[in-house]
Amino acid sequence: MTAAVLVGVLVAGAVFLIVQRGLVRIALGLIMLGHAANLVLLAAGGMYRREAPLIDQIAAVQTAADPLPQAFVLTAIVIAFGVTVYLVALAGAGTGDDTEESQ
Amino acid sequence: MTVLGVLAVAAAVAPLLARWWGRDAGWPLAAVFLVLAVVIAAQLPAVLDGEVVETSWPWIPAAGVNFALWLDGVGWLFAMLVLGVGALIMAYCARYFGRTSSQSRFYLLMGIFAVAMLGLVLADDLLLLFVFWELTSICSFFLIGGTSLKADKPAMRALLVTAGGGLALLSAVTLLAVRTGTTQLSAILADTSWLQDGWTGPLVAVFIIIAAFTKSAQVPFHFWLPGAMAASTPVSAYLHAAAMVKAGIYLLIRFTPAFSDLALWNVVLVTFGLATAIYGAVLALKEYDLKSLAAFSTVSQLGYLVAIIGIGTSYALAAAAIHTLAHALFKATLFMMVGVIDHQAHTRDIRELGGLRRSMPVSAVLTGLGAMSLAGLPPVLGFYSKEKLFAGFLEAGGPGWVAPLAGGAAVLAAILTFGYAARFWYYTFGGQPSDRSDVREAPASFLFPPAVTALAGLGLGLSVPALRPFAERVVADTGFGAQTVEIHLIPGLTPDVGMSALAILFGLGLFLSRERVDSLLHRRSAPTTGDAVFDRVHATSLAFGRRVGDLTRSAAPPVHIVPAVFVLGVLAAVAVWWGMPVVQPPEPVVRTWDWLVIAAITAAVLGTVLVRNRIAAVVLLGVVGVLLGVWFVLLGAIDVALTQITVEVLTVVVLVLVLRRLPVMFQRVGGVRIGLSAALALAAGGVAAVATFLLTGRRELSPVSEYLMTHSEEDTGGINVVNTILVDYRPLDTLGEVTVVGIAGVGILALLHTVRLRGREDPTPSHRRWSPIEDPWGNAIVIQVVGRVLAPVIIVLSLWMLLRGHNANGGGFIGALVAGAGLCLAHAAAPDPRRSLVLRIPGVAVITAGLALSVVTGLFGLLDGSFLRPLHADIGAYHFTSALVFDVGIYLAVIGTVVVALTRLGVPHPPTEPTREPPARSGTRGERDAQALPPTALDGHDPGNGERAPVRRGDSATEPGGEQ
Amino acid sequence: MIATALPFAAAVPLLMGTLLLVLRSPVWLRRTITLGTSTLVLGYAGLLILVTRGGAVLAHPLGLWETSPGEPVVAIPFAADMFSALMLAVTALLTLLCVAYGMVAGDDEQHYFQPMVLMLLAGVSGVVLTADLFNLFVFIEVMLLPSYVLMSMLGGGHRLRAGRLYVTYNLFASGVLLAGVAFVYGVAGTVNFAELAGAGQESTAVAVAAGVLMVALGMKAAVVPVHGWLSNTYPDTSPALSALFSGLHTKVAIYAIYRLYALIYGGDDRFLGVAVAIMVATMVIGVLGAVGESTMRSILTLHMVSQIGYILLGLALFGPLGLAAGIFYLLHNTVVKGALFLATGAVEQTYGTQRVYDLGGVARKEPLVAFAFVGAALALTGIPPFSGFAAKYLLLHASISAEQYGAAVAIVLVSLFTLLSMIKIWSNVFWGPLKREPESHPGGDTETSGTEADSSTAMATGNGSLLQRGTTRTHARAGAPLTHVRLAMIIPALVLTLLALGIGLGAQGLLVLTQEAASGLIDTSTYVEAVIGQ
Repeated sequence: MTAAVLVGVLVAGAVFLIVQRGLVRIALGLIMLGHAANLVLLAAGGMYRREAPLIDQIAAVQTAADPLPQAFVLTAIVIAFGVTVYLVALAGAGTGDDTEESQ
Repeated sequence: MTVLGVLAVAAAVAPLLARWWGRDAGWPLAAVFLVLAVVIAAQLPAVLDGEVVETSWPWIPAAGVNFALWLDGVGWLFAMLVLGVGALIMAYCARYFGRTSSQSRFYLLMGIFAVAMLGLVLADDLLLLFVFWELTSICSFFLIGGTSLKADKPAMRALLVTAGGGLALLSAVTLLAVRTGTTQLSAILADTSWLQDGWTGPLVAVFIIIAAFTKSAQVPFHFWLPGAMAASTPVSAYLHAAAMVKAGIYLLIRFTPAFSDLALWNVVLVTFGLATAIYGAVLALKEYDLKSLAAFSTVSQLGYLVAIIGIGTSYALAAAAIHTLAHALFKATLFMMVGVIDHQAHTRDIRELGGLRRSMPVSAVLTGLGAMSLAGLPPVLGFYSKEKLFAGFLEAGGPGWVAPLAGGAAVLAAILTFGYAARFWYYTFGGQPSDRSDVREAPASFLFPPAVTALAGLGLGLSVPALRPFAERVVADTGFGAQTVEIHLIPGLTPDVGMSALAILFGLGLFLSRERVDSLLHRRSAPTTGDAVFDRVHATSLAFGRRVGDLTRSAAPPVHIVPAVFVLGVLAAVAVWWGMPVVQPPEPVVRTWDWLVIAAITAAVLGTVLVRNRIAAVVLLGVVGVLLGVWFVLLGAIDVALTQITVEVLTVVVLVLVLRRLPVMFQRVGGVRIGLSAALALAAGGVAAVATFLLTGRRELSPVSEYLMTHSEEDTGGINVVNTILVDYRPLDTLGEVTVVGIAGVGILALLHTVRLRGREDPTPSHRRWSPIEDPWGNAIVIQVVGRVLAPVIIVLSLWMLLRGHNANGGGFIGALVAGAGLCLAHAAAPDPRRSLVLRIPGVAVITAGLALSVVTGLFGLLDGSFLRPLHADIGAYHFTSALVFDVGIYLAVIGTVVVALTRLGVPHPPTEPTREPPARSGTRGERDAQALPPTALDGHDPGNGERAPVRRGDSATEPGGEQ
Repeated sequence: MIATALPFAAAVPLLMGTLLLVLRSPVWLRRTITLGTSTLVLGYAGLLILVTRGGAVLAHPLGLWETSPGEPVVAIPFAADMFSALMLAVTALLTLLCVAYGMVAGDDEQHYFQPMVLMLLAGVSGVVLTADLFNLFVFIEVMLLPSYVLMSMLGGGHRLRAGRLYVTYNLFASGVLLAGVAFVYGVAGTVNFAELAGAGQESTAVAVAAGVLMVALGMKAAVVPVHGWLSNTYPDTSPALSALFSGLHTKVAIYAIYRLYALIYGGDDRFLGVAVAIMVATMVIGVLGAVGESTMRSILTLHMVSQIGYILLGLALFGPLGLAAGIFYLLHNTVVKGALFLATGAVEQTYGTQRVYDLGGVARKEPLVAFAFVGAALALTGIPPFSGFAAKYLLLHASISAEQYGAAVAIVLVSLFTLLSMIKIWSNVFWGPLKREPESHPGGDTETSGTEADSSTAMATGNGSLLQRGTTRTHARAGAPLTHVRLAMIIPALVLTLLALGIGLGAQGLLVLTQEAASGLIDTSTYVEAVIGQ
C-alpha cells in the first residue's frame, strides 16, 4: 500500500518531467523513474519483513527483509547512476540542452 | 537437367567469352543453344508417345521443396522456343552490336535469362518455378535499365509490375502448398481435389491470372511492355516477344487442366484477352516507331492467346499451342528485321522510311513473310494458327450469344492486325523510295537469323499437317486425354476459314483507307496511358510514405516516450479486463512512520516538478533521493540506503557542475502542454500505483531468498547477505554494473573529446539570482575549510567500508561512492580547481585497473571450476576471500568514473583552442569566431559550435589519442 | 568444458575491451585484438551450434552455486541452445565485419571505437546466453552504454541530438524493463528463466507482469507504435555503426522477446490475434515510412521496423512453422541489413553524401558495390535466389496454415513496397548520370544526417565532423587520389551478400537449424532441465 502510493507519486512526477522540454528536466524525470522502479523491486520482496538481512542480527529468517531485491536495487541504482552521469554530460555538451528545435 | 546445367555453365562463361571475342561471343553461345535445342528435340518421339521425362533432386526437403524438372508436350514446346529462338538471337547479337562496345554484362544477363526461362518451363516444383519466374523479371529489369540513362523508369515499371505478378504467383504457390501439402506441380495438377475446397480454387485461379497477366502484358498491366522497348533489339526480340512474355501463357496453359471448367477462369481470360487483342492492335495501328508497333502487336497477339486459352476446349488449346509457335517465329523475325532496318537506315520511324524494297530486297522478303504470318495470310503458319483460333472461339461455352461475340471480336482484332501488319511492311519497303539512297542491304551474317525464323514460318505453314501429332500431344498434356485435332493444308469451307477471309478482306480495306484511319485515330487519343496511371500511383505512394514518416520525424524524446506510456496503459486495461485475483498479503504492511516519509517525499516531488529554476529542481530531487534513502532504512535495506544517499549526493554534484553551463531557468512550455502532461502523469502514476499494489508483496519469502538467508554464511563466510549476493552468488550482475559505470566514465571522455562542453551562457539580469550551490567556486570558503578536513577522513572511511563489506553493511560500491563524495569535497575544497589533487588522478587508468581486476579475479575462479567462483584462503587470522579482491576492483572502477566526471565536467571553462584547423566549408567563420569572441558568447548563437575538435589537455592518461 | 566456457563469450570481449582502453598503440596490435576477439566469439558460437545439434542444451551455473534438486537456483545460469548459438554466431559475425569496415572507413581512429565495440559484443553475448531475468537486464545495459558512447562519438552533425534521444528513450525503456523484472519477482518469486517456464499460463498475475517486460523489450525492438526513435537515431551515426546496431540491438531485443514469450507464455494463443495485428501494423507502417524517405540510411532504418514486424510475426504465429520461419527471417535479415548498410555506407563515405537524389551512376563505376547492394536488396525484398524468398515463403506458409490471411496479405503487399523503396535507392544512386565524383578532399560523411539542409545545420555538420574530416583525409592519403570505393571497404558487404546468396540457395542448411531452434522454444523442457541442473 505505502509502496504503491509512493511509486504512484514518483511515476507521476517522472512522467510529467519527461514530457517536458529540455534535456535536464527529462534527465530529472528519468532519475525519478529509476527511484520508482527500485521501490517496486523492494516492494516485490514484501514490505512486511523489515529486519536488515544480517545473519547474526536477525530474529528469524521470516522477519528479515528479502535480501535478493536489495541486491538488485543496489545494482540498479549504480547502473542508473552511470547512465545518468553520461546523460548529464550529454546535456552539458553541445549547444544547450533544449530537446526541441523551436528556439 | 544436364541441359540446364550446360546452359548455366554457358551463362557463367559468357562474360569471359565476351571479353575475349567481343560481340562475336554470340556465335559460340548460339552454338551451345543450338546443341541443347537438338538435345531437347531428340526427346520429341518420347514426348509424343506421352512419356514424361522427369528428374528430381532434393533442394529444401525441410520445406518439402525439390529441384524437380519434367518435360512433357507443353514443356517441350516452350523449351524449344527458348532454346531455338535463343540460338538465333545469340547469333544475331554477334552482328547487332558494334565491334568496340563491351558486351560481357549483356551476354551474362542473356545467359542467366535463358537458364531461368528454360528452368521455368521445365520446373516440376512450384517454388522452383517461382524462383525462375522472378529471375526472368530481374534479368529483364537489368537488360532494360542497363542500356541507357533514360531507361531506368521503364525498367522500374516493368520490374514492379512483373514482380507484383510474381508475388501473386508466390501467393498461389503457397496457398496450394498449404492445401495440398506438396509443391510438386504435376502432382497438384493430377489430383485437383483442392478445387473442391471452398474458395481455394477460385483464389488460386485469380492469383495465377494476375501473375500471367502481368508477365504477358495483358490489359490493364500491358503498359510496361512498350516501355521495355528501351532495351536493345535482341532483348526485345528474345525476352519481350519470344520468350519471357510467353511465361504467362505457359502458366495459363499449365493450369488449364485445373481451371478449364471454372467459369471465372473462362470469363476473365476471354474478356480481358480479347480486349487486349483489340486494344493492342489499335495502338499498333497508331504507332510510327516500328519497334513500338511491334511491341503493341505483341500485346495484341498475347491477348489472342490468353483469350483462346480461356475458351478451355481441347481444340482451343491446340490452337493456342500452334499460335504460340507461330507468334514466336514471326515476331522474332519482325523484331530482328526492325533491328536490321534500324541498323541500315538509322531510323525506325516509318515516316522517314519507305521504298526500301529496292535497296534491301532480301530484308523486304523476310519482313514480308513475317508480316504475312502476322496478318494471317496463307500459306504461312500464321494463317493456319489464326484459323484455328477462330475455330476455337466459335467453341466458346456459356449462353448462345457468347461464341458469335467472341468470334466477332477475334475477327475485329484480326482485321486491325492485318491493317498494321500491312502498314508495317508498306511504309518501310513499299511506296515511294524516300531520299535514302545510302541505305545498303545488310550482310548475310546479319540477315541469317531472321531468315531462319521467317522461312521456318513458311515451311511449317506448307507442312502444317505435320504439326498434328504435336498439337494432339499438347491437348493430351493439358488434361483432355487423347483427341484428334484436324489440321489440313487446304482447309474445307468451314466458318473459321470464312472468318479468316473476312478478316483479310476488311483488313485490306482498312489498309487501303489508311489516311482516313490515321487521321481518325490521331484525333482520338486515349484519355490516359498506363504509364501515367502507374506514375501517379507511384508518386502518391511516395508522398504518402513521406507523411507516414512525418508522424515520428522528431528528435524530441517525449514524442517517442508518450506512446510507450499509452501502451503500458493499454496493458493495464487489459489486465483489469482479464480480472486479476487479489491475494491478501501474509501480514499487515503499513507502518505509521511510512506516511510521514511519503508525505515528505510527495512534497519534494511536487517541488521538483513545479520549480523552473534548474538548480532548485536538482536540489529538490536530491532531497527526494535522500528521503527515499531514509525510507530504505525503515525497510531494513541499510546497504541500499547508503548507496542511495551517496549516489544522490554524487548525482547532484555532477548535475550542478553541468548546470553551471546552462541557462538558469528551464525552457518555458505552453499551458496546454502542461495540462496535458499533468493529466498523463496522473494517469500513469495511478496505473503504476495500482500495478505495484496488486503485483508486489503478496507472497511469502521467495524460496531462493530463504535459501540465501540460511546458506550464505556457510557458503561464503559472509554475514551481510546482500553483500554476499553481490560478490559471491551473483557477481556477474555486479561485474556488469561495474562495466556500465566504467563505460559511463570512459564515455564522458570520449564524448568531450569529439564534442566540447558548452560554455556558460551569459545570464540575463532578470534570471540572475545568486545561489550558493550554483557557483561552487564563488563561495568556497566554507567548503574549502570543511573539505580540507573531511576529505581525507572520508577516503579512509570508504576504505573501511570496503573491507568490512562482506560481514557488515558496506562493500565495494558503497565504499567507492563514499570515497567519491570525499573526492567531490576535496575537489570543491581545492582553492584553484585547475590544480586540485583530483585532477591528477588518471581516471581511465583507474577504471581500467578496476575492471581488469574484477574480470581477472573472476578468471581465477576457474581454478575452482567456474568463472567468478570466489576462492577462500585463511591468511593468518583474517579469512581472505577473492570476493574481496573483486570488491576492490569495483571500488576502483567506480572511483575512476567519479573522478572523470568531476574533472571533465568540473573544469570551470571548457578549453577552446581547437587542435585541428576548422572544416573547409563553414570553417573560416568558425575560426574567426573562435578568435574574436570568448567561447562563452559563441554558443548562444552559433548552433554549429556545439561540436568541436578534440581537446588536448596535459593529462596523458586521460588523453585519448587521435594520433593513430 | 564447453559449458564452463559459456561466460567467456562475454568475459573475454569485456577483458579485451578493457585492455584496449589503455593500450594506445601499435595500431596493428589493437586491430588484431579486436578482430581476433570477435573471431574467437564467432568460432565459439560455431562450436555451440555443433554441440547443440539435436536439441542438446548447455548450461553452466556461474560460480558453481549448484543446489540440490527441489531447491531454488541461486546462481546466475548461462545456457545455450540452438537459438542462442545461432544468435551468437550471427551477431559475432556482424560485429567482425562491421569492425573491419570501421577500420577501413576510419571509425577506429577514434581511440574508443574498438573497446566500445568489444564491450558491446560482450553485452550481446551476455544477453543471448544468460538464463536469469535480472542478469538479462544488466547485460542489456552493458550492451547499451557502449552504444550510447559510440553513437554520440561517431557520425554526422546531428549525432548529439540523436544520441540524446537514444539515451533518454532507452533509459526510459530500461526503467520499464526493471519494473517488469520487479513485478515478475513480486508475483513469481523468482527471476530464473527455467523456474518461470509456463508461469504466464498458470497465473494471470505473472502474465501481466511479464507483459510489462514485453512492452519494454518491444520498445527496444522498435515495434509500432514505439518505433519512431529508430529512424531518428540510426541514420545519424556512422555507417559502420548503423550496420552494427541494426544487427545487434533491435535483434537482441527480439531474441529476448522470443525467449521469454516462449518460456513464460508458452505460445498461449490468447494473444495471437493482438500480436498478429501489432506486427502487421509494424510491417506496414515501417515500409510506408521507408518508401517516403530520401536518404539511403533512413530508408534502410525504416525498413528495419518493417522487417521487425516480419520477424515477430513468426513468433506471434508460434507453432513449429511460424517460429522456424521467424528465426530464419531473423538471421537472414541480420545478414542482409548489414550488407545493405555497409554497401550504401561505402558509397556514402566515398561520395560524400547519402541523399539519394544527389547521387547517380554509381553502378557503372562501382560494379562490386552495385552487386553487393543489389543482392542484399533482392534478398530483403524476397526475390530469389537470395535468402529473402525462402524466409518469405516460410512465413507466408506459416501464416496461411494458421489461417491468418490478413497477415498473409500484408506479407505480400509489404514486399511490393519494399521493392519499391529498394528501386528508389537503386535507380537514383546506381543508375542515371554520374552526379558526383568521390570526394578527394577531406570531409567524407559530413552529410550523414541527411534530410534537412538549412544553413545552421549545415554549419553544425560542418563543425560537427571534424574527426570524420580527419579520418577521410587519411583515406585520401591511403588511396590518393580517391577515385573509387576502396576494395577493402566493399569486402565486408560482399561477404554478407554472398552469405545471403548462400542462405538462399542452400536454405536447407539453415532451415534445419532454425527448425531445431524452434522446437527448442516450443518444448522448453530440455532447456528448463539443463538450467535447473538435473
